[in-house]
Amino acid sequence: MNLEQLFPHARPWVENLVNVWPTPYVKPQFAWWEILHVVALITLGGTSIVMNLRLIGLGLTQEPPSEILRSLKLWQTVGIVGIVVTGVLIGMANAERLYDSAAFIVKMLALVGGVVLTYGASRPVAKADGVVSTAARVWFVVGMAFWLAALWVFAVSDLISPGVFHIISAAALIVLVAVKGRARLVYLGVLIPMVVLQFLWTHLLVKPHDYARLNPVNITFAWLFSAWIVGTALVQLFRAGRGTEGGPLTKIIGYAAILVWVTAAAAGRWIAFA
Amino acid sequence: MIHNFLVWLQNSLGKGPSDTAQSWSEALLGSLNFWGLLDGTHLIALMLFAGAILVVDLRLLGVTFRRTPVSVVSDAILPLTVFGFLLVVITGMGLFFARPLFYYHNIWFRLKMIMVALALLNILIFHSRIQKSQGAWDTEALPPGRVRAAAAVSLAAWLVVISFGRLIAYDWFECGKPQPAFINWAAECATSENGAVPLAAPSAATPEAGQPK
Repeated sequence: MNLEQLFPHARPWVENLVNVWPTPYVKPQFAWWEILHVVALITLGGTSIVMNLRLIGLGLTQEPPSEILRSLKLWQTVGIVGIVVTGVLIGMANAERLYDSAAFIVKMLALVGGVVLTYGASRPVAKADGVVSTAARVWFVVGMAFWLAALWVFAVSDLISPGVFHIISAAALIVLVAVKGRARLVYLGVLIPMVVLQFLWTHLLVKPHDYARLNPVNITFAWLFSAWIVGTALVQLFRAGRGTEGGPLTKIIGYAAILVWVTAAAAGRWIAFA
Repeated sequence: MIHNFLVWLQNSLGKGPSDTAQSWSEALLGSLNFWGLLDGTHLIALMLFAGAILVVDLRLLGVTFRRTPVSVVSDAILPLTVFGFLLVVITGMGLFFARPLFYYHNIWFRLKMIMVALALLNILIFHSRIQKSQGAWDTEALPPGRVRAAAAVSLAAWLVVISFGRLIAYDWFECGKPQPAFINWAAECATSENGAVPLAAPSAATPEAGQPK
């Protein structure tokens, strides 16, 4: 799925974007705008990871979530505004490539989902020190819909589908830190053999360049990994129950608000590959 | 000597006896999915590593977490920084292994490595000298000037590292293109596959410059 398939009549408009102000001024400095885009992404990444890990109950646990939000909200907004402004300018200078790119659709869906989850759910929940209001629940559902749509396009699009392993890996690592004691051993005891099995399957049973056979195997493993990681996280969340700084939904919002930006970043990189 | 080692690394290591056999480096670069995953992971790891450093440096500058002791912020975020750094290094080594000669003769890559060394030196100086007196300024909203200077140097250094890293994809100063003698010397273009072409003797066929790869 790409914008050309969704809006086939828009091609002349897309082709002309390179002549529209301010693109003629952006294109000669394309590299510097790309650098600003990466710097904005890092600013957003650092602030979102620290703030949402706190909602999960990790990281800066000596301070309440509201204090972390108070300290980081300006910088988080700088990051989000930065990626949007530089992204629009880069996109206009590179519009034809993005028009044909499925990864760009993923990035846009994740961007909308990220903004909704951050401003509608994660930040209000952090401000209320973990209490999830009705409005935050509604925005969480809206943001999740965009993010899950992004993941679906990522997973079903040819040539970019391996990119979902970025999100699966990031989720796996957060869950690894979040689960404690024997649960962590059980978690790793299943996860590691699955990784080894996938490697052997995709290198010995199927040749690494046999895409037609490789793709279904990778998709199957992506589902298995996802089920195991999400299942472990949910068991851990509901076993822990409701604490002084929110219950399972607070933590789920924390997970989603990190992983949605990982999805946007990963999709942005895969635009260059397919 | 390094060049010859990298030629072996890129063209010979892991190569089988058949005519169509690939070295491990060539196989990695030509892999359908793995190279993309490596490159994407490098960026995501950078988000974690540099993002975590940003948060700590902003605290040291007295910009954020002014009511939280520096030690609380740095102790909580240090594991993220260390893990992010390891991931950046491992994926970066993988990317280098896929195109060792390209990176070795790339002026931006060389500048990036120098800046990484300087940034790490700044961390070393901070931990070995400045942090020794942390007890005196740990709870101060605005740490002393030398602490803020170290944080500013850290932020600037990593910003330059990131910038040079992104510029590696641009072929402005690629060996084989007519360019100043200093660039040819700094990138050791004379020993590269494309050779060193001085500005005075432009090559007949030069690829279009300015576009990322």
